[in-house]
Amino acid sequence: MRSIAAIAGRELGAMFRTPVGWIVTALYTLLTAVVFTMQEVRPGEPATLRSFFAPSAWLLIVVAPAVSMRLFSEEFRSGTVEPLLTAPVSRLGVMLGKYAGAAAFIVCMLIPTLAYPALLAWAADGPIDWGAVASGYVGLVLVALVYLAVGTLVSTTTDSQVLAFLVTLIVLLLVMIASGPGALRAPVRLAPILAEFSVPRRAANFARGVVETKDAVALLAASGWMLALAWVSLMLREGR
Amino acid sequence: MIHVHEASKSFGRTRAVRNMSFELQPGLITGLLGPNGAGKTTTIRMIAGFLTPDEGRITVAGHDVQADSLSVRRQLGYLPESAPLYPEMTPRDYLDYRARLFNLGRTDRRQAVDRAIDRCRLADMAHKRIGVLSKGYRQRVGLASALLHDPPVLILDEPTNGLDPSQIRSTRDLIRELAQDRTVLLCTHIIPEVERTCARVLVIAAGRLVADDTPERLAGGNANRFEMVCQGPADPALRESIARYLPGIETRLADDERPGWVRVEASGDGVEGEAMHRAAADAGRGVRLLAPVRSSLEERVVRLIDSAETCVDAGSEAEKAAGGSA
Repeated sequence: MRSIAAIAGRELGAMFRTPVGWIVTALYTLLTAVVFTMQEVRPGEPATLRSFFAPSAWLLIVVAPAVSMRLFSEEFRSGTVEPLLTAPVSRLGVMLGKYAGAAAFIVCMLIPTLAYPALLAWAADGPIDWGAVASGYVGLVLVALVYLAVGTLVSTTTDSQVLAFLVTLIVLLLVMIASGPGALRAPVRLAPILAEFSVPRRAANFARGVVETKDAVALLAASGWMLALAWVSLMLREGR
Repeated sequence: MIHVHEASKSFGRTRAVRNMSFELQPGLITGLLGPNGAGKTTTIRMIAGFLTPDEGRITVAGHDVQADSLSVRRQLGYLPESAPLYPEMTPRDYLDYRARLFNLGRTDRRQAVDRAIDRCRLADMAHKRIGVLSKGYRQRVGLASALLHDPPVLILDEPTNGLDPSQIRSTRDLIRELAQDRTVLLCTHIIPEVERTCARVLVIAAGRLVADDTPERLAGGNANRFEMVCQGPADPALRESIARYLPGIETRLADDERPGWVRVEASGDGVEGEAMHRAAADAGRGVRLLAPVRSSLEERVVRLIDSAETCVDAGSEAEKAAGGSA
């Protein structure tokens, strides 16, 4: 457990020791700030951040691959994977540590956005729906976990960070298209199955303050499956 | 301590290591010598558990590398070739991180990091970013990382790569000191390094173990050889003077190609050029040439490698011919 925490800590530290982490955080904060300024507050209604969370989840489609691209690709390219995989840590431990580090970075990246609900609470006449805010953030983190798991899988397959970023982005976009517009045009029997894969739809439920167990389980299960595939990929990838 | 039994490894159609077998005991530095692409790195990567052998079995301190990989890794200090490190970290942070991977507690970790920094003389650079350090310092950080958990087995791939002469000497001294109660496998293609550091040499060529012996026996005698050309004949006065200055040293005197000059060759432990020069001067002879002779280990190793590679080439040709006729 200590070694997994060490790997997670190093990953998180590496993001903030290099410009990548700061640039990603700054861009995400800036773009979500733009989204926040478009927030509508209707008199008499509880102030929510519903229309902030949905586009923020979409932004994660670009942000998560930028975070996950370096997880393994960078280690393969620089050769640091050799001392890492000859330390007394299982490959599953290495993968979980890296994934946890990336997830911790996303959580850190979301921290500046807490200013928005604070501002909303200060500016709005009516009460703020803190439950919806909390569930919205839970939804964002769960969505990020899925995207990061896909990125981790892709990162175990290539030495190139750029390739890892692009492939992850394309895979996520394809899933979005297939489960969104694709599901609308799909045959009647296939449409509901495709729609089940829609991550933004599940995130939207969280943004509304509706925490459904099936959404949480679906997102966690998707992350778990992707991580399982990443682990297999890492086991198969031998010392290249 | 390390037992390699008929290990083989292929990458696609390339057979990197073929039926490799050897055993290493503690307290000995063993050199793994061979040209680039001979299979040295593949062999040590299999021992370190980074690669899985296609065939054969490898055990380290009684643990099977495949079945009990984590136990093997706890026993191993491994310095990979070129010491790959994280450039954004400082040596101290990196060593602390490595100590965490080896599950060391807070106090043990601090002590281990301090000891490794001290041993590898990294104190001045401990708080600088690894990315700005010279290759020599990076190599030392890698070595410190291999020593961190005080492992009974050390595997070092080109440990003096990128070091200056003084650093090479201190690294050799450190390796000798560490080998007193450890098994050390030193992978290199630098023959003088093996002569100066190792008690045993494994020569690998074309993926095969082609020799396993002490450097002296492998070289066919002592590795220290000097050659001198001095004036005059090979008379008893010169012989007496040489015997006085080089007692117990094997010497050979022969006429030089140039008339009026004699060629003296001395080999063995303790042969020094200065003593040879004094012997000639004491006999009243002028010296035209005095030089160490190219290591005979080098000649022997080069011959072994050449013959092994020729055998493999011939084998490949035969295989191709057999495949063609089939």
